[in-house]
Amino acid sequence: MSIDWITVAAQLVNFLVLVWLLKRFLYRPILDGIDAREARISERMAQAEQVRKTAEAAGAECRAETERLKAARDEALQQARAEAAAERDALLMETRERLRHEREASEVERAEEARRYTDRLHRHGAAALVSLTRKALDDLSGETLEERIVARALSRLPGMAGDLKAAAGDSRDAVVTTREPLPDELCAQIDRAIDGALPGTKVRYVIDETQSPGLSLRLGGAQLGWTVEGYVDGLQAILDDAAGQRRQTDAR
Amino acid sequence: MELTPDDTVFFTVFGFAINATILFTWIVMAILTGASILITRNLRPDVPPNRWRTVLETIVLTIQGQIDEISARPDRRLLYFAGTLFLFIVTSNLLMIVPGWRSPTGSLSTTAALALAVLVAVPLFGVGSRGIGAYLHSYIEPNVIMLPFNIIGEFSRGLSLAIRLYGNVMSGAVIAAILLGVAPFFFPVVMDMLGLLTGVIQAYIFAILATVYISSATAVPDSVSAKELT
Repeated sequence: MSIDWITVAAQLVNFLVLVWLLKRFLYRPILDGIDAREARISERMAQAEQVRKTAEAAGAECRAETERLKAARDEALQQARAEAAAERDALLMETRERLRHEREASEVERAEEARRYTDRLHRHGAAALVSLTRKALDDLSGETLEERIVARALSRLPGMAGDLKAAAGDSRDAVVTTREPLPDELCAQIDRAIDGALPGTKVRYVIDETQSPGLSLRLGGAQLGWTVEGYVDGLQAILDDAAGQRRQTDAR
Repeated sequence: MELTPDDTVFFTVFGFAINATILFTWIVMAILTGASILITRNLRPDVPPNRWRTVLETIVLTIQGQIDEISARPDRRLLYFAGTLFLFIVTSNLLMIVPGWRSPTGSLSTTAALALAVLVAVPLFGVGSRGIGAYLHSYIEPNVIMLPFNIIGEFSRGLSLAIRLYGNVMSGAVIAAILLGVAPFFFPVVMDMLGLLTGVIQAYIFAILATVYISSATAVPDSVSAKELT
């Protein structure tokens, strides 16, 4: 075992040269490459962090936008519901109003129809009553209804003369109103009767087709009537009463 | 049988004998430098590392990691020094598997040169790190009586480094040569494999010890650290 100091010196130089060579061609390139890669990785990480922050901000903005849209949607929905409720109430009100109008019109129409029916019934009843009376008088006594009415009126006239004079005052114009023209014979009887009860009174005859069959005498402010109007009204009352009883029976 | 490659002289240059130790050292240097140049010649940050570059990075980072674990003050110059020690020794030892290879670390001249390099590097790193006054003061710590012992210890560390590496490598080569003569087939292979393991371990030990010596020289004493902190 010996040491060659020249070789030792040479090896020492060789080692130092090797240190320099490896530093130049191994350590520095490798370490610089690692440093550069780490720097690039750090830069990429920083960029990724920036992107992550941007994405988080975008996500937060998106969530806020979603919340805002949801709130707007809820508000619009609520408004639409309120409008629909108002529209429904308005339609209901309009429908109720229309129904009320229709019901009122229907009631008016029904009342009008009832009135027309009553009028027809009244006329038909009167006509039937008069016709039956005429027929009964004609069949039983050979007299007309007008003759019997005039006879009855003239028989009552003397008893009522005082009252007529008091009611007529100074008036001496008597008006006899009938539905149909009276025969001359009956007119003459009336003239004589009135002249007897109320001397100096002039009689005038008027035809009124709307009047019930019979005779009406007006002298000044006084008026006497012998018509079938009251009988027809009585017949109407009987019919109305019968109809009411029928409706009550149907209702039960 | 030649125990040291110093005795094998290949040629002479200007009266200077180029023996096997120097020649094979140049070969190791050429291999290491050439491989480094080949692998790192197209090194660019934007190019992903290939397989060989990854191997080199792994080796360098492993050495750097070991140094960082030992040294309180990691220094790239320490990496250059200790890393080169390890790579040179391990390459020289691993190439023993090549027939006819004469490992330079089997020469006491080489191990002495490496130990001498460590012996010189320790004060250089210590002075560079702590200053010459503080470094020289470490030789009289804990008191001046310890000065000769510290100096002896310094030299004995270098001597032990040189002798340990030389003895392990040389003995492995000698044992392999003897076994090759006795049992040419099986035992030399086993011993060569054992020699490879021993070579790697010796390289590791040499580099680690050098790092420990240099780190201890560059380490700031606890009392000084406490003063700096306060």
